[in-house]
Amino acid sequence: MLAASVAERDGTISDVEFERFRDFFYRKTGIRFENNKRYFVDKRLLERMQQTGHESFRSYFTFMRFQASRDELQELINSMTVNETYFFREEYQFKCMVDELLNEVVRHKSPGESIRIWSLPSSSGEEPYSIALYLLEHWPLLAKVDVEICSSDIDSKILQSCRKGIYSQRSVKQLPKALLKRHFKPLSGDRFQIDRELRESIQFTQANLNDATQMRRYRNFDLIFCRNLLIYFDDASRRQAAELFYDALNPGGFIFLGHSESMSRISSLFSVRKFSKALAYQKPLR
Amino acid sequence: MGLRKRAVEDELETVVLERGYETLLLALRSESALNRRDAVRELSAYPQAVTDLLNTLTSEPEHAVREALLGALQQLGGEPVVAGLITLLRSEDAVLRNGAIEVLQTMPEGVALHMLELLNDRDSDVRIFAIDILQQLAHPQAPEWLLSVLKDETHINVVSTAVDRLAEVGRAEMVPELMAIKQRFPKEAYLAFAVDLACRRIEEV
Amino acid sequence: MKKILIVDDALTVRLYHRQLMETLGFEVGEAENGIEALERGLSEHFDLFLVDVNMPKMDGYRLVEEMRQEPSLAATPVIMISTEESEQDREKAYLSGANFYVVKPADVSELQTYATLLAGGA
Repeated sequence: MLAASVAERDGTISDVEFERFRDFFYRKTGIRFENNKRYFVDKRLLERMQQTGHESFRSYFTFMRFQASRDELQELINSMTVNETYFFREEYQFKCMVDELLNEVVRHKSPGESIRIWSLPSSSGEEPYSIALYLLEHWPLLAKVDVEICSSDIDSKILQSCRKGIYSQRSVKQLPKALLKRHFKPLSGDRFQIDRELRESIQFTQANLNDATQMRRYRNFDLIFCRNLLIYFDDASRRQAAELFYDALNPGGFIFLGHSESMSRISSLFSVRKFSKALAYQKPLR
Repeated sequence: MGLRKRAVEDELETVVLERGYETLLLALRSESALNRRDAVRELSAYPQAVTDLLNTLTSEPEHAVREALLGALQQLGGEPVVAGLITLLRSEDAVLRNGAIEVLQTMPEGVALHMLELLNDRDSDVRIFAIDILQQLAHPQAPEWLLSVLKDETHINVVSTAVDRLAEVGRAEMVPELMAIKQRFPKEAYLAFAVDLACRRIEEV
Repeated sequence: MKKILIVDDALTVRLYHRQLMETLGFEVGEAENGIEALERGLSEHFDLFLVDVNMPKMDGYRLVEEMRQEPSLAATPVIMISTEESEQDREKAYLSGANFYVVKPADVSELQTYATLLAGGA
């Protein structure tokens, strides 16, 4: 009887275990799971337990917390954040950018002054290209204002592939058909290459957030996209990243974090700004 | 007009001129908050700047510069930084105090040397701040320190803070000490709730 | 159902207040400091904020000041909870824009009464 109940418990996560995991995960990543995410969180946890050969949550939790390499924590973050990139991922932020945010930025610009956007990490390039596509398709003011997009990643190999701009069917699946047709060239093997013009409109740079001297070159941005990166950092590195972003932004400039991320545990340098479709963080105007 | 790529040489590859150390120290007293902040950011590469950065911290009025000062001190680290930030725990300025606590939370080894002293400080507020520093569960000794608070501490707010932390980092062998707290402070509804919560979490996980 | 946001950096305090408010029939959200409270308060509607004074990153005073500047939060009632009993602290809370000030440990029935009153029922 006892054995059966233990075995039964091993395949599940109890309420208290869920709460304790939730608090731990919040401390480590700044991501908070409410009770309505319970099913999702349990499912991911059970998957990771199975992958690492832990039968009970208790033993898995201990293993993950005290592992010196933090590899398992990283794996867990990957699975909890479903960290895959594709075009127009978290589209509501691009909508917010063209419908409201950039219009506000433009009001503080002198004639002829360009708007500068920084997207990092580049990862395989879907995010910076999504920004460019969104501007071309949905921001009428682009006819009157110059926009510069810079995208950085620590990995120079991945930047090479960004510059080539070749993507799988999976990567472009969210794009409206007409848009895909307008801006991409179909290649063999169900792949698509983004227009040369677009490829040449984005500056891809290798950048290391830990290199202060290198970071001093990144200045005068009006908008930074930094989604699902800081969740992998520890508290000290997150704070340093926030300082860098503050320096990199013009007064009144904005930051978008990933949809489950929050600035609240990272830094008090920015104000929280509510737009109709998204929250953004703003460097004070003066 | 439209999407435009700025020439690489234009900005990103510009060589950044290094200012000398003395120039940076002078800039800490500049009238402009922007200049002060820039100086602080550059000084975070100079270990010899710790004393000046700490001294500036107590007089700096601008939030963004204070944040940069705390960030620089965090980056520099080491015993003088830890000792300097610990003296700020006695500051009347709550924002500054909280800032110091946040940086100390990221320095478990450095703080460890001072922890027993802080937990036995005459000022109950300082004892509470010491427990706040333990918040990030980064140091393996944290549970033992908290246990010592349960055993020896008489001030209810200090005990409450320790129980709160143990709800996250407590271990099974601490349950009896936690339960004893309920008997020592029988009229405190919140504390009884916190003890029960901590025990429930410890026993199940 | 009326909704209350509990803002406190101590986990057990949040859960304690959550329980007190849920007993009355309120729906409860939590935030760990002033910034998170703003993030949540700007994303969804709350009928009342229950705010601790001393928190890292953004304390209770500044949170209420920011709320009063923000059109969508300017009218939301705030109960501030503090360990400080002095007149000075009480005054500072009211000046920042709090509607009611309670000293910790708060009297349970007083807290519940004022929460219900300020939120306009549970």
